[in-house]
Parts: sequence; C-alpha cells; structure tokens
Amino acid sequence: MNSNSIEPVIHARKLSRTYPFGDSTVTGINQVDLDIAPGELVVLKGDSGSGKSTLLALLAGLDHPTAGELVVAGHHLSNSAGADLTRFRRKVVGMVFQSFNLLPTLNLLENVCLPALLAGKPAEAARAKALELLDWLGLKSRLKHDPAQLSGGEMQRTAIARALINDPALILADEPTGNLDSRNGRVVIDLLAELNRSSGRTVLIATHSNLADSLAHRCIRLRDGALTDPTCDG
Amino acid sequence: MRRLTFFLRFFLWFSGRHLRRHLGRALVVLFGIALGAAVFTSVRLSVHASLHSFSRSMDFFAGTAEKVLVRPGGYVPEGVLPVLLAHPAVKDFSPLLTTFVRVYPPQGSSFLLIGIDPLLDQSFRKWRIRGDREKTAERWLDLIREPYTVILTEPLARELGTVSGARLKLEHARRTAEFRVAGILIPEGLALVEGERVALTDIATFQELTGLYGLVDRIDLTFKPKTSPLDIEDLARKLPDELELRSPSAARDSGTAMIRAYQLNLSVLSFASLFVGMFLVYSLVALNAASRRRELAILRAVGASPRLLFNLFLAEGALFGLCGWLLAIPLSSLLVRYLLHSVSQTISTLFVRVQVEGLVLSPWEILVSFAVTLCISIAAAFQPAREAMGVSPKEAMEIAQTGVRRRRSVRRLAAWAVGCILLCVPLSLMPGIGGVPLPGYLAILLLFVGFALLAPWMLERVGRALSPVLQRFAGMPAYLAGRYLRDSGARTSISVGALITAVALFTALVIMIHSFRQTVELWVQQTVSGDLFVTTKMGQVNRFRFPIPEPIVAGLSQLDVDADLVPSRRFQMTYGDFPYEFEVMGMETFLKHGGFVWMKGDPETARPLLLRGEGLLVSEVFANRTGLGIGDMFRAQIEGSRIEIPVAGIIRDYRTDGGVVFYSWKQFRQRFYDPQWSGVRFYFRDRTRDIDAQTTGLRDTLIARWGDRLDMISGKELRNGVLKIFDETFAITTVLLLIALAVASLGITTTLTVLVLERTRQLNTLFAVGASFGQIRSMICWEAGFLVVAGEMAGLACGFVLSYMLVYVINRQSFGWTFLYTVDWGTLALSFPLIVLAALVAALPAVRTAFREPPAALLRER
Repeated sequence: MNSNSIEPVIHARKLSRTYPFGDSTVTGINQVDLDIAPGELVVLKGDSGSGKSTLLALLAGLDHPTAGELVVAGHHLSNSAGADLTRFRRKVVGMVFQSFNLLPTLNLLENVCLPALLAGKPAEAARAKALELLDWLGLKSRLKHDPAQLSGGEMQRTAIARALINDPALILADEPTGNLDSRNGRVVIDLLAELNRSSGRTVLIATHSNLADSLAHRCIRLRDGALTDPTCDG
Repeated sequence: MRRLTFFLRFFLWFSGRHLRRHLGRALVVLFGIALGAAVFTSVRLSVHASLHSFSRSMDFFAGTAEKVLVRPGGYVPEGVLPVLLAHPAVKDFSPLLTTFVRVYPPQGSSFLLIGIDPLLDQSFRKWRIRGDREKTAERWLDLIREPYTVILTEPLARELGTVSGARLKLEHARRTAEFRVAGILIPEGLALVEGERVALTDIATFQELTGLYGLVDRIDLTFKPKTSPLDIEDLARKLPDELELRSPSAARDSGTAMIRAYQLNLSVLSFASLFVGMFLVYSLVALNAASRRRELAILRAVGASPRLLFNLFLAEGALFGLCGWLLAIPLSSLLVRYLLHSVSQTISTLFVRVQVEGLVLSPWEILVSFAVTLCISIAAAFQPAREAMGVSPKEAMEIAQTGVRRRRSVRRLAAWAVGCILLCVPLSLMPGIGGVPLPGYLAILLLFVGFALLAPWMLERVGRALSPVLQRFAGMPAYLAGRYLRDSGARTSISVGALITAVALFTALVIMIHSFRQTVELWVQQTVSGDLFVTTKMGQVNRFRFPIPEPIVAGLSQLDVDADLVPSRRFQMTYGDFPYEFEVMGMETFLKHGGFVWMKGDPETARPLLLRGEGLLVSEVFANRTGLGIGDMFRAQIEGSRIEIPVAGIIRDYRTDGGVVFYSWKQFRQRFYDPQWSGVRFYFRDRTRDIDAQTTGLRDTLIARWGDRLDMISGKELRNGVLKIFDETFAITTVLLLIALAVASLGITTTLTVLVLERTRQLNTLFAVGASFGQIRSMICWEAGFLVVAGEMAGLACGFVLSYMLVYVINRQSFGWTFLYTVDWGTLALSFPLIVLAALVAALPAVRTAFREPPAALLRER
C-alpha cells in the first residue's frame, strides 16, 4: 500500500508533546513526522518511556500536542477542543487498551453498547450492533457476564467489540496483548488484522511483542520521543 | 522503645506521606471531626460551668450545717428556737431568710438579699468584710446595732455604683426601704453565691422589710460530737409535726442530678455531630486501606506483620482524633461563648436558678472530650485496620476479586442491620437507669448503626430498580450513575450512613420540637389562659412565696371591672426528693374560661370532683416521677395542714421540669386554711370588645390604685414569653442539628471525591470511548443525587422511628413529659431541596477532581 499517493488517515508534522515537571519539562514525543494511509496496519514499537502511549493519546484526541500539526481523518486535532474532540472520539477512533478497561459495573453487552449509547444512538440499534459484533467475536454466550467473570482473552475481545461499535475509521491499540498469554495474544492480533483486511480499517498497534510484525504493512519505532527506524527489525 | 521509634518512623513514611499527598481529603475529614469534637466539648463545658456555679453556690450557702429545719410550703416560726436551745444534741443553730430585691428606682435586675443573725451565722458560713480587722468587726456588728444596713459583694456594689457608707433604697414585694451600705464583702464563701450578686442584712431588718415577723425560711443546725441518729430523731419528735429536718445537701443533690441529666442529654445530642464525624474518619481510612491494598500486600511480602498493618491504620485514626481534637480547641472557644449563656438560661428556666460568671476549665471535662474524640476516631479506624491486617502477601501478584466479596458482605451487613433495628424495640421498653434513659440511648445508637448497615443493600436495590427507568428517561449519565452506585458497596454506604444519621436527627428533632411546641401552644392557650396576670412585686423571681397583701386582695375583689377573677397560691414542695409546685386556684372560674390539657382521666367525671374538692389534678411529670395514678391518694403536709386527696386526672404541664398539682382554692380554704393570693388572673367577660384595650385599661386602674406594688403582665405577653423561652431553649438544638448536617455534607463531598479518585481509570475510559465532559459531570451529579435521595429516604424512615423514641422514651425518662405527636410536614419538605442543594454543591469539588488528571493517563499501564 502506497502511503504517498492517497490522503493519509493520520498526518503529523513536527508533532511534539512536552510535560511540565517542576521547573523543567519532560519530552513525551519530539518533532514527529508521520503519515498513515487508509487501510494500513501499522505496528508502533519502542521501549518503555519511548513515547508510544503519548503518541497514541494525541492520535486518539485524548491529549493536545504542545507543537506541530496533527490531522486525523480530516480532523485538525491541533486546534480542536471540547465538543469537537468528543465527536471525534465517538465517530473516528476506536481504542483497545492493554488492561482492557471494561467498566466493572456493566455487563459485557452493556460495555460494548456504551460508546454507541453515549453517542446518542438508539438503544435497540446499539444492542443489535453489539450482538452482531459479540457473535462474530465468539462471546454471544457471555452477554450477561460481568467483566470479572471473563478471562483476559475474552475481556480483550469485548474491548475490541466496544472499539468497533461506532464503526470507526481508525483503531488504536495500546499494547493489546500485554496482559494476555501467547495464545490469546495471537487471537487478538489476528482479529485486529482481520478487521484491517476485511473492512479496510486503519489499525495502529503499539506493542512490545513481535506477534503482529508479520501481519503489519509496516513498522515504525520510537526512541526518546522521536521516530528513528522505519522498519520492524532490531 | 526501638520498636516504637521504628513504628513512628514507618508510620510517617507510609501513612504520613500518603496523607500529605492527599491533603485536601485529609483536611476535610479533620475539619469534620474537629467540628464534632468542638460541639461536644463546648456543650460539656457550658453545662459544666452551670453545674459548677450551682454546686458552688449551694455549698457556700449550706456552709457547715448538718441538718436544716424547714416547714414545707411555708416558714419556720422562731418559736421553735427555745426547743433547739434546750436540746442537748444541738451545738449551734442559725436562722436564715432569703428573697430577691432590687434597688429603687429600678436599676438592673434583682439580686439576692440574705437575712442572717451575724453572730449565730459566724460558725456556719464564711463571709468577711473588706478592711482592717478592728473596723471589720465593727462593721458587721453594725448590722445588728443599726437597722437597715447591708453588706454588698464587690461586683454588686460596682454594678449599683455604690460604696461603703453610701445609702441606697431596696425594693421588696412588701415595701421599699432605705439602707446604709455597712461594708463590702471579700470575694469568698457566701459572697460567691448567685454569681456574686448578694447582699447581707440582719435578720430583724429582713423581717421588718418583708413583714415576716417571727418567721424564717430555715434554721441551719450543727450537732455536738457523738450525736447519734437517735438523738436527732429525738429532736424531731420534740419539734412541731409540720416541721422537717432535712439534709442540707438535699437541694444541692437534687439540683445537681437535674443538671447532670441535662448535661447527659445535651452530650448525647452533641455526640451526634461527633458520630457523623466518625463516619468521615471511617470513610477515609477505609479508602486508604482499600486503595493501597496492593501496597499492603507488598509490605506483607517483604516481611511486615499483620499487626504492623493493623497498627498503621489504627494510628491513622488516632492521628485524626488527636489533630481533630487540637483543632477543636479554638473552635470550642468560639462556640462556648454562644452556648454558655443559652445553656445557663435553659437550666434556669427548666430546673434550678443558676448564675454563670464565666467559663470554668475543668481538667475532667477536657479529658472526657479528648478521650471521646480519640476513642471514636480509633473505633472508626478499627474495621479498615482489620481488613488491612487480612491482606495476603499473595495479593501482590494477583488482581483482587473484590466484587464477589462485596456482594456477600452486603447481605451480611443487611442481616446485622435488621438485628440492630429489632433490638431497639426491647431496649426502648426498658426503664431508665437512675433516671437516665441509658437503654433508650443505646436503642438510638443501634437504630443509627442499623440504618447505616442497611445502606449498601438499599443502594443496591435502588440502583437495580432505578437504572432501567433512568436510562429511558434521563439518558446514559443517570444510568451509569445508578449502575455504579448499585455496585459501589460499603464505601458509598458509609457516607450514606452519615447522611442517614444527619437526616434522621434532623427529621426526629424537627418532629419532636414541633410536637413539643404544638403541645406547649395548646397548653399555653388553655392552662395559661387569662387576659391579665397580677402578682406581688418580684413574685416570679421569688417563686410566688409572698402573698399579695390583704388590703390589696380586698381591693382587687371589689374592683369595678367586667371581668372574672381566678386567684391562686403556689407552694414550693417536695415529694420525697422530687420538687413540685402545689397550686390552689379558683377552679370553677378557671374551668369556665380555660382548661387543662388532659392526658388521663375523663374531664367530665373529674370536673365535679375538682369543684367539690374531692379530687385534684397532677401533671404528667408528677405522675411519672412519683408513680401516682388516677384514684391514688395524694398526701402532703402544707404548712400546718395535712392533705389527703385522691388524684382525679393527669394533665400536661410544662412550666418546669418539676411536677405540678392543682387543687381548688375555695375548697382548700374551706377544708384547711386561707391560702391567701400569691397571684390572680383576670378574664374579661365581654369578648367582643378589644381585649388589648380592656387589658390596658385595667392595668392603668391597678397602677393608679396601688402604684408599683404589683407586677402585671398581659396574658398575651405571658404566652408569647413562654413560647419565646421555648424557642430559645431549642435554639441550641437547632445549632447542633445544623452542624451535624454540615458534617454530613462534608461526608458527601468526601465520598464523591473518593469515588471519582478511585475511578480515574474508569472515567478516563468513558472519556476515551466517547463520553463528553458534560456527560461525565452529569454522571457525577446524578451519583450525588442518588446518594442524597437514598440518604434522605432512609434518613426520613429512621427519623420517624427516632422521633417516636425521643417523644415517648427519652423525654419521658429524662424529663417525665411527653407531647402530642404531630409532624411538621412543611419543614420536613423544605429539608429535601436544602439537602439536595447541599449535596450538589458538595459534588462540585468531585467534578473538578474528575478532570484534574489528563485523560491520556488512561493509556499508561499502572
């Protein structure tokens, strides 16, 4: 897939995020230039503290860059705030987390429906879509279970269903296999790859593991907040 | 020692730093407990000041007397002095008279004039005149040598602007006379009674001023060494039957017991604020124990013993108690200024006259306040500390399954709750211990604990029932709030428990005060009926001891006025040790215009008995204290007459904490002796004419005829005065109540903040999956709303039960009276929006906290 010929889903130029720390500042990411085309599956690698989570937070509209330009699916996130960012998170991105982050007070079906309901979609439509997704993910028999009653793999599949409920163009996964054994980790990576293949969604996976390497269109690496290596090697 | 040093150091590392990191939360809890401790301390200190003043006055007044000779309801004739002089057991005796007088022309309030024999009294009471020894002796002899001389205390002389040698006019019910100030008393002994507002005069001058020739209030006695009880019995036999030999400490003991009971009641009420503060300490220590569970597991894994963890959290509670108490000291000093006056006024109104000079710092009271604050703070930390103790080192490596454990505990707590609430029933039915409703207080404590323990189960039920409805009608934020609270378990319930306690107290006290006021209003309208009340000058302050002079009575009876007269005479009596008033009144006319608030007995059956003098009425307090019921024989010795009359009915009366007995004035005169009039009330016959104008006209007539020899008050003023005193008495309660509500609001703030802090990850997840700031804010407000609604509903239920207990158990056992139960729905309804508003205001800091951390924090694995 050629990322130069089509309008990129993610377009970042000289993107920086620093955090005040006492009298000095700590750099999260520094002068990052990045383009990711629609339908790409990209693996983001880097050591702990390299800036992966910071970059994902910026891409997800959860944080603001301190400098640079960031456009995601046509949304200029550098200048957006409040309601615009809320709409962006509802419609454009779906997030999958290392620690699943399912709400413990909601059952599995309710967790999946949640983003759709927050976006104001009718409950029946949200439920139908959630059932479809959970069926696809093999969780139909666990609809009424609380998160505490699920295995790690099941929780992460539920989180993937939740990320997909609003049909986002971009899936961002932060260490999605970090809390899973290798078998379940494989299943989750295969699911994300399947999502990319079947529906052409753009998927960005930040991970330490090599499970996704073979399925990715390309790998990028962060070191000390800067993109250093365009390949997965090393 | 080394272990203690290590523990303190470790406590500072582990708990001190954590508390410092979350300083806001810690300060809120600290302020809450400090407020509770301040209320408790200031209430105790205020009552203690009255108690101290009263018992000091009584002790100085009693002096060295071993027995006191009195005549119930009247005066002791001096004719008994030869009997005392002749008896071999009597060593010394000293006759004594007291009355309240004021300077003329009136200036300031009345003060106590004590009539003594300066020679005889020297061996009984300590009092000395300022100045050199020789002159001093002459001056107190002046009291005997020169009629109409007084010795004043220094503060009184200063207040009256007079000095030794100056002249001043003293006004009494009988007459006004000029006195010479023979000296100023050194502030010791007798000079310290009645808040140092005392004057001494010779007994002969006193008798001349008051017209009590040959009569004294009492004669104090001391006995020779080796006097046996048999000797004293022998003396009693030689004295006239109507005289009694009493213990000089009887009045002090009975007064002290009444004030102590009042102190206990007020302490229990003020303890409510401390009790609510206890929830705050529990809430924070429990949060710290729960949120640091992993740290605790790590500590255990690296070698910490369960006892060390237990002690750490217990010490956290103790730290709150200690710092809260220290912070309470300046708060108490502010509160006590307000309470000191109102408490002494209430005690004077309800029980015994007290004059408080100022705050008395009692080491015992300070110790009690410190110990109670510390103990409840440690008790609040006990359960979280036990939970911390049970953390397994294995948990350092696993994710805790808190959800499963919580559900089991909710059911267990509910079972305990039902047990506590059921236990209230038998405890409420038990009699008080030593006149103090201890089982009743225990029942109240159990009621609070029961409802607090019920809170988790109730929240679960409410959350379950409301969530689907709310999703349909109020959207996702309300739904999420309901679902979260359903599963929030014990921690949320602690704050709801605090709110339940505060709302229950509010409800119960609103109902109790309203019922009390409504009943008092009814009593005032019926029993304190009348258009103009007339008594002797300073009749009220002298407790109606001095009858209206005969010529005035004759004049009053022949007044050309279109009004009915109801004469009355009050006698201050005791039934065993219980003080009461025996009042004879013009029953027929009184029943024509006014009436009694009946409790037991049939008014129609009792009426002819009362008019024929074949029955009398006793107040509810009298009946409860003495056990006398309808048909029982009332017996008393009033002056020279032995009275034996059956009880025809029991009525409500709230004039003092003591009881009252009513009998027909006419029948008393026919059967016993002429009781004279200590007061009279007028009822205008023509009710169509302006009553105020008629009252003013009659008052003018009386003044024109007898000048200022009579005290007068219109019925309207008197009734308004009674209700004003009532409202002032309960002003203290209202203040305590508002503080309890304020502490409970702090509890809601803490809980919501804690709930938000605990769920940073969840809230950020919501944010990440598309919730707007507005939706999250709305969710937190809904949570506040749920907490408040649940607390209010359960608090109302608990409050209604509590109000029954207050009216029918605590008041009956503490004061001997009950009231007609009425509910002030208006005020109760007003409380709801007030509390909801308070909770929403309390939610604001929590809402701010929700967005303090950047949402991106979610993406970092912790």
